Amino acid sequence: MTTFRIPAALAAAALGLLAGFGPAGAAGPLDNPGFALVITCSACHGQNGNSRSDMMPIIAGLDQAYFKRQIENYAAGRRPSPEMEPYAKQIQFLGLDQIAAYFMAQKREATLIRVSPDAVAKGKVAAAQCVICHGEGGKGDPARLIPGLAGQPPGYLAQQMLLFKQDTRDPGDPLLAAKKALMRTIPDSQFPELAAFYSSLR
Amino acid sequence: MNRMSRRHFLRSASIGLGVAGGLAGGLGGCASTMKGDIAPKSGRRVVVIGGGWGGATAARYIRMTDPTIEVVLLEPNRQFISCPFSNLVLSGLRSIEALTRSYDGLRGRGVNVIHESATAIEPDTKRVRIGEGYLTYDRLVVSPGIDFLWDQVDGLPAARETVLHAWKAGTQTVELAAQIRSMADGGVFVLTVPPVAYRCPPGPYERICQVAWYLKQNKPKSKVIVLDANQNIVSKTGLFRTAWQAYPNIDYRASNRVIAVDTSTKEVRTEFDRVKYDVLNLIPPQRAGAIAVQADLVGADKRWCEVDHVTYESVKHKDIHVVGDSTIGLPVPKSGNVANAMGKAAALSIVSLLNGQPVPLMPPGNTCYSWVSDKEAIAVVNAYKIENNKVVQIEQKLTPAQSVSVAQRAEGWRQSIWADVLL
Repeated sequence: MTTFRIPAALAAAALGLLAGFGPAGAAGPLDNPGFALVITCSACHGQNGNSRSDMMPIIAGLDQAYFKRQIENYAAGRRPSPEMEPYAKQIQFLGLDQIAAYFMAQKREATLIRVSPDAVAKGKVAAAQCVICHGEGGKGDPARLIPGLAGQPPGYLAQQMLLFKQDTRDPGDPLLAAKKALMRTIPDSQFPELAAFYSSLR
Repeated sequence: MNRMSRRHFLRSASIGLGVAGGLAGGLGGCASTMKGDIAPKSGRRVVVIGGGWGGATAARYIRMTDPTIEVVLLEPNRQFISCPFSNLVLSGLRSIEALTRSYDGLRGRGVNVIHESATAIEPDTKRVRIGEGYLTYDRLVVSPGIDFLWDQVDGLPAARETVLHAWKAGTQTVELAAQIRSMADGGVFVLTVPPVAYRCPPGPYERICQVAWYLKQNKPKSKVIVLDANQNIVSKTGLFRTAWQAYPNIDYRASNRVIAVDTSTKEVRTEFDRVKYDVLNLIPPQRAGAIAVQADLVGADKRWCEVDHVTYESVKHKDIHVVGDSTIGLPVPKSGNVANAMGKAAALSIVSLLNGQPVPLMPPGNTCYSWVSDKEAIAVVNAYKIENNKVVQIEQKLTPAQSVSVAQRAEGWRQSIWADVLL
């Protein structure tokens, strides 16, 4: 958890209301104005972007340039999503820069969704081709807008691989051409294994 | 809901307050009687009435954003049961246990959860009455959900114990599932849809899909007759129409408002027609939960509560915030996701106001999935902004078609949002 100074406690102490409360300095997310901007997001993406679900990605700690690009793509319909297209427009209305910076500053916690060791082992073998871009530890490369995959929920990762293979995510984007060509060489049945492997990384 | 014994209540109250901690003096002698001030307030306190999607979320977010504020949550039910996904209990695809969660997560955050009903609100003295006792508050959150207008259907007030609505997930959901299960093949299931506004606009139509799916598999001679008070399917209209093509056992009749029920002849009456049933699911017309009506939080229609679009403070009573299905006037559906969004915005507004800080603008959002078979779902999503202190819709988007992938995301949404409400 990110910790902030807590004016609530300070204010209460100043007013002399309370004697028995803990010292000022406990966590108080409201001190960060970004917190109020992202409360809609937590319904699906979890507290501070640490999703607890299998299908919604963890966006805590996500590189802000990558985040902004995705929101712009969602809003424009280039990354088609009936869920995210309206919310992307809501984020643009609320302030994309500030929200992107907020999520980047949050500490990423790996998914709580468990995967089978067998699938992880198979996925590790199949992932040999992925390390070129996503790195040995699946940490990605922000300079090239390549996201970290380590610890992401497996359901989300498997679904995105399918969308890349079908060329329904960002069709025609030259940055993704090589990735999609690679995805087309991988059978659909292998996606859950690749997903399990990357999800298991910490 | 059975009322708790007094001893049981006192025990849970004192345990709860113990968890809340930090209260100078604690309960002291107050626990010896239910009369008078049940727990004298030493610091700042918010009382929350109703531990559903809106109230539980509000309680959680207040504690999360300012742990120096004491939060007391009044909820008669011992456990949280999710209305979203409860139509899948009717088709046998889920158990009610799979939709049931404890309030321990909120207790862990220091929310004092008391399993009792608020019996009255006294805005002038800022008190909530619980029987002969009371709790004082600095600010109050009222999230009472919906209640039914029984007397709008002839014969229903007398039959309300036997004619099931199953529109609050729990005992009635399980009973209705059992009735559908034991209906003979060839039996007729009648579902009546109330006129808008009611809780969960697509809910009746998802239920029709689930019951039709179950009957198609298990009782192929049976059919579903839908008597809809509205002129057309209220939500996700085209997507439901398409989904229903897989269910020739659905007989949908728009503009058929049910006006009477007779359980002795197993018959419902509309303005034009009499319809025989073997199993009846009559979803009555609705209004805000009883406490909101009794506390004069409802408008001239005597049904729903008008609120400020930024803080969710009642337009009728100061320092009382109303969230969830009982509100009216915002361009949002009465959904669990919206109640969750309102709970968060109300919570942060209250924390800001109690700390003398400006209230941020926090528009709601709505993500709403409906299961149209055992494997496939559809969705509608609404995003909003706040302009001139009013909530305005930015965009509504539907899934292009029903799919397994949408159903997987529905499961993902469920996992996430239950945590956002309760953990």
